[in-house]
Amino acid sequence: MNNIDPLTGLLDRFGCLQAAQKFASVSTAKKKPFSVIWLDIDRFKQINESFGHQGGDEFIRGLALRFRNRVSGRAELCRMGGDEFVFLVPQCDRNQAQQLASELTSTVEEPLTLGKLTLRPSASIGISIHEHGEDSLTLLERADRAMYAAKRNGGHMLVCSGDEPIPGRLGITLAREELAIEGTLHTALETGGLSLHYQPIILANGQIEAVEALMRCSVEGESIPPGKFIPVAEKTGLVIRLGEWSLLQGAMHARLLQDAGHQTKVAINVSRAQLISPKFTKALNAALLCSNVKPELVELELTESLFMDISDTVQKNIQNALATGVSLSIDDFGTGYSCLANLKDIPAKKLKLDRAFVSVLPEDQRALAVVKAMTQLGHELGMTVVAEGCERKEEIDALLEVGVDAIQGFYYAKPMPGEDLIPWLQARNTK
Amino acid sequence: MNLNQQDSPPTEVDNLLERSIIDIGIPPCPAILNRFITEAKKEDPDYNRLASTISTDVSLSASLIKTANSPYFGTRQRVRSANEALAILGLNTTSRAVAGIVLRNTFPHIPNLERFWDASARIARLSGWLAQQFEIGIRPEDAYTFGLFRDCGIPVLLGRFPNYEEVLATANADSERSFIEVEEEFMPTDHAMVGCLLAQNWWLPEEICLAIRNHHDQKALASADSMLPMMCRKLIATSQLAEHFVQNQLGLSLTQEWVKLGPGCLQILDLGEEFLETLYVEVAPIVLADE
Repeated sequence: MNNIDPLTGLLDRFGCLQAAQKFASVSTAKKKPFSVIWLDIDRFKQINESFGHQGGDEFIRGLALRFRNRVSGRAELCRMGGDEFVFLVPQCDRNQAQQLASELTSTVEEPLTLGKLTLRPSASIGISIHEHGEDSLTLLERADRAMYAAKRNGGHMLVCSGDEPIPGRLGITLAREELAIEGTLHTALETGGLSLHYQPIILANGQIEAVEALMRCSVEGESIPPGKFIPVAEKTGLVIRLGEWSLLQGAMHARLLQDAGHQTKVAINVSRAQLISPKFTKALNAALLCSNVKPELVELELTESLFMDISDTVQKNIQNALATGVSLSIDDFGTGYSCLANLKDIPAKKLKLDRAFVSVLPEDQRALAVVKAMTQLGHELGMTVVAEGCERKEEIDALLEVGVDAIQGFYYAKPMPGEDLIPWLQARNTK
Repeated sequence: MNLNQQDSPPTEVDNLLERSIIDIGIPPCPAILNRFITEAKKEDPDYNRLASTISTDVSLSASLIKTANSPYFGTRQRVRSANEALAILGLNTTSRAVAGIVLRNTFPHIPNLERFWDASARIARLSGWLAQQFEIGIRPEDAYTFGLFRDCGIPVLLGRFPNYEEVLATANADSERSFIEVEEEFMPTDHAMVGCLLAQNWWLPEEICLAIRNHHDQKALASADSMLPMMCRKLIATSQLAEHFVQNQLGLSLTQEWVKLGPGCLQILDLGEEFLETLYVEVAPIVLADE
């Protein structure tokens, strides 16, 4: 018979295309779903090399038999050559296709005895669902591409066409919007879509205490607010690479300011994921080295949530960071996981009060009392106390009144791009 | 197209590029600078020759890529190789910037950079060739770029730590610990981390940055549960193989890296030991070529 693969008795490549055409036109005419599953055995080359082509053939024949037993009557089976199989599944939607694919995966993974050895193979699978009017070749190509995406991501994986290459990129399942953000973050990292903006922190006497570096992400003119991308970055572990990027970028900017005659400290945010990583010290040292900046011009802002659980690695990283000469500050203090005991253990020089306290000033006397107490506590520990998120003159007056040392907020300056900072500092100095 | 032309593009780009060469922090190889200037000064300079000269130097290539990837140009697709960057920046701009660098002679003297310059150029060339010859599944330009920049952390550390050369020698000779572990013993950071951050700063593709970061990491390279993308592993394996050939061919003292990482690399590249034997002969002219 024509179009039959002699080794397995399944449809061959040409037979597959013909059958797919038939299913596709039925699917279009009757508006019924039709799915294609493309399966490729991982590391088949090794099997072939270890057992010779005869062993490889035996393996493929064995698999084909198992597939036949498993899906018989539900799908048209094809062998596309080598170790690639295609399953044409009429009246099968995405969910059913995924279900069938996972059955196929377990079929592949059943141990298989070849000579004296027992093999435990795995497979990469791509799925495509027929779209109304789509031709069969395009449909097959989509399944093949999805399979290839699974392979590229390390194999032993299932990818649906249209979802590649994001799913499983870091092995973590995320909701669709988050997946889109994750994809954008990757693009930003790869295409220069990240930047740091700088917001000045102003002392009561009007001098600049420091500038805080805040990350911005924008791809093809569309920016994602930090409130959206930072949680995704944290969830996926990307925050480590983003954090390293801002360490170097922030340190380089501090160096740029230093060269322009401004001894202005740049405060760089460090995430929990970075600080619990054993590589943090190396990354910090590399950033200081590459930027060639005076370490005292760099400050690390640690979020307070970090202190709910201080591991040995975190302590070591903090000690090592201090040894380089950079200073530390505690961010968002006063809400969340505040633990006063931690304050005594973290040798930070600056305490930044959470913006939640600021917005209710000066009317809320109780909030003011808390701010005053936290400020005194900070001073007792030798720290500079900063209030964030200050937008109105009355807030600032009240904060300075209770002893807060420095103010950060829109009232003085919005975060600005790096290239605007030096002119801003110069204009301020000449005032 | 010669050095005396003062037409477009604007001088901002000249400054940007020249500044970038200085900022990269790695001195360009003087021999390459000379070769470039000699060719560029000719009546009718050979563009391909200039491009290939530049692309063998770590510092000049990095500067071109960083400048072409800067927001000034706003290109949507990031540049991945010196050749692509040269096409964007133009030969005039590049020549003027290189000439400016030669004139100012701004770089501090870092001893023993010759071996670094020579090795990175040869490893890059051979990596590109290997990627082209065999179906490794990586772009030859990427293999070239990675080979060139893989060790870019080394000159930075050499410039800052007087004892780093001894650390390198110890790491090269250690047959048990990984290269990075040896660096860890003496240094606050290591050349893979420095290189990764630099490459990220030049906006090189993420897989190249990650490959630089992990290029001595046996576990990331070969273990079954490695989270390192296959693309990175292939880049690393190709360059390690290239380095092995270069050392073998030039009769340099063999480092222990191939002993530690070689089997994993061959597995990733799907090459057998026997095949390697025939390759030794085939790669010789590529390793030994002068440019």
